[in-house]
Amino acid sequence: MTAIGITLAVVCQLLLVVGQLLLKRGMNAVDALPRNAAKIGGNLTLGILCLTLWFFLWLGLLAKWDLSKLFPFEGMDPALLVIGAGVFLKEKLTPATWIGIALISTGIALVSAS
Amino acid sequence: MTEPAQLEAGRRPAPPGWFLNPHLQIGLGAVLVTVSELMLKKGASATADTTAVAGWLGIAALASWWTWAGILCYVLSFLSWLHVLRYVPLSIAFPLINAVHVLVPLGALLFLHEPVSLKRWMGISLILIGIVAIMRPAATVEAKL
Repeated sequence: MTAIGITLAVVCQLLLVVGQLLLKRGMNAVDALPRNAAKIGGNLTLGILCLTLWFFLWLGLLAKWDLSKLFPFEGMDPALLVIGAGVFLKEKLTPATWIGIALISTGIALVSAS
Repeated sequence: MTEPAQLEAGRRPAPPGWFLNPHLQIGLGAVLVTVSELMLKKGASATADTTAVAGWLGIAALASWWTWAGILCYVLSFLSWLHVLRYVPLSIAFPLINAVHVLVPLGALLFLHEPVSLKRWMGISLILIGIVAIMRPAATVEAKL
């Protein structure tokens, strides 16, 4: 893969992570409908926008490289996303979560090195 | 029975009915994403030689029905995912949905005939162990609700 391809693959993952955090923020507010309608709509819309950009960028990358070569880039996602959920959504992060993420990321690194 | 206020941030009691169980939906979502990815790859490959007009954005792939079928599966998985997000913390749900990292290489091997090396099998095994490590405490929390 070229340098620009790798960069775009990383940008692609950041779009996915931010999109997921926004979706979760929106769905966390669902219990307080209809008072929270604007907050839910705003977060979901922004989240879907990020994921739409992610989707088309992903399609473009897929057209150029094998799926099994591209997919490992998503290996950064669990760590980035769980840190984001802890910092921005105040979710409780347990040791089991960290151990699981370490294993998943190592596994994805192995897959990408093969 | 715990009061919702005492639950950890981002978690709510599961809704009634087996089909709406958030953990079943995570599994269903992982399968839908896998099917979607395989179809998107078929669509993108089928249109890969139709020039690079759209550059890095894979707009050309929309010419293939595989791509549209992939998008349909993706939309379904998205609805399932929103449902999951309502009940399960993102820091639990997202690592679990990484089951796609196991299912996609398996699907790529079976249906697209992409090779899977020994190192890759080892990576896939580690991912699976990681998923189980996260799933077990999560299942305990679920049982307490």
